[in-house]
Amino acid sequence: MTMNVNVTLGELTARTGLDVLDHLEREVTVPVVDGMQAQGDLIVVPLAMLGQLRVDDDGWWGVPPEGVELLRSSAGGNPHTLVADRGRCRWTTRVDDPTGLAIGALEAASVAYLIHPEHGASGIAPGRYVVRRQQERALGARPGPLRGLMFRGAGNRFVCD
Amino acid sequence: MDRAREACAVRDAWLAHGLSAHSAERAEAEDAVRELYRLIDAPAPRFTWVDSPSAGLELVRTDPAFGPVRLHTGVLPDRAEGWSPPSRLATLQSELRDRLESSVRGPDRYGWSLRPLKPEPDWEQLRSTAPREALAAGASLDRVLWVAVRDALRGSLGDAVRAPVRSALRTDSPDPLTWWGQHDASWVGHYDACARIGHGWFAAGDLAQLGLWARLARSTGWWWAGEGRCVMAERPAAVHTEPAPGAVHGEIRLHHDDGPAVRFRDGSGVYVLHGARVPGWVVTGPTVERIHAETNVEVRRAAIERIGWDAYIEQAGLRLVGTADDPGNPGFRLRLYDVPRELWGRSARLLLTVNGSVEPDGRRRQYALGVPAFLDDPVAAAGWSYGLSGEQYGRLRRRT
Repeated sequence: MTMNVNVTLGELTARTGLDVLDHLEREVTVPVVDGMQAQGDLIVVPLAMLGQLRVDDDGWWGVPPEGVELLRSSAGGNPHTLVADRGRCRWTTRVDDPTGLAIGALEAASVAYLIHPEHGASGIAPGRYVVRRQQERALGARPGPLRGLMFRGAGNRFVCD
Repeated sequence: MDRAREACAVRDAWLAHGLSAHSAERAEAEDAVRELYRLIDAPAPRFTWVDSPSAGLELVRTDPAFGPVRLHTGVLPDRAEGWSPPSRLATLQSELRDRLESSVRGPDRYGWSLRPLKPEPDWEQLRSTAPREALAAGASLDRVLWVAVRDALRGSLGDAVRAPVRSALRTDSPDPLTWWGQHDASWVGHYDACARIGHGWFAAGDLAQLGLWARLARSTGWWWAGEGRCVMAERPAAVHTEPAPGAVHGEIRLHHDDGPAVRFRDGSGVYVLHGARVPGWVVTGPTVERIHAETNVEVRRAAIERIGWDAYIEQAGLRLVGTADDPGNPGFRLRLYDVPRELWGRSARLLLTVNGSVEPDGRRRQYALGVPAFLDDPVAAAGWSYGLSGEQYGRLRRRT
């Protein structure tokens, strides 16, 4: 399986066995983004943009052809899956991020793809990136000793789409 | 594979029984209860039928025939004969379930023999993998059934349906033991599926007793067993569900935005939006006043989304702090609003954004994020949500 730059959503889902919702256009070529991009509640940030963040040298592993599920919403729902040609992309969760938002880092030697049933697919140009999830300030929650345990930091919590 | 497929078909049939909104088959249910009473050597009870669990609980809470629940051995008489029917019935069922559980346990679950030749997919993977693929990837039938039948039925009927109905009825006082009728399909269905495909070794007596619980799961709503008397509740008149997000084992959750998700024949019901139980006003009459009086943030968000963020912002009179083009989402604007402290009990700001991808209905969903009150710039507010500065977030190339 070769993931060249001109891949359509239909081809990508056929190759990976992952599925997306029917209303998404399958015949359009999946754009490949060289830079920062967001897919719903996830963001892919070039590592070079984030100075304060450290990625461990150990702990990298190859992304298998069936992909790595990066994040699944709390209701058990739709996953964001990272897929790439065998041996062309590696992934680690050993990231020390002061914001606490990083879920991992990826290093792509050729184009890798992020697939989500509702958002479709997006190409990631070769490079090193950090993947972060989204936070929000809990709407109207009064910070208190007990609530502090449930939310991140001062009444912040993760966004799940 | 064929066995897994057959088991899933059995599962789906039990799910349908668990969600059934047909009126109860009263004679069938009463007959099965009489059989159970025979098994615990109790005299046949009289039956009273009611239209809903809340009506049933109202009756049994005041009727001494049902008594308080005494399941701790310390407060039970030494000999089982002295126990009340609910206690004896609970023991009967619990012992049955223990035996059924060991009947379906394959030796690999104990870990002392027959280790799988290659590592099995882990439990988390199995939850999102269809049985056919899971078996192909080396999962044992035992594990596949556990996830695709047992967990799926438990999640759908136990957690997603029975639990919200039950918590809507919960009071501070301990209630008499409830039997779940159609919602007992959550465990009956698993053992029935295993027995039908020949997975496990079952004693004839256990299958016969399982058959009684199965008859109740196919014929009635919740019920209560008392001394000489049983209160039986009708099934709901309507049950509204949607597939659980990402479900591959047929899991469902309750959802209805036009009335109660579960409505009983006496008009009582439970309101649920996308699996989350909400007070009725959220569905029937969300207003800005009620939203501001609500302390639960999830309920508040659900209610605002019912009104629509635009309408809420207008009616609540939120002040616009600033707008900006949404980087990476061409043609759409970010809008930042100030939420006065007195509205939500703390000062906050609200960032209104438009989704990067279209919904199945062709529209783009608007959503709002709470952000700290010190942020004045909409782009910086969007950046904050990902731990980025406004300048960094401004370099976003694409949003989907």
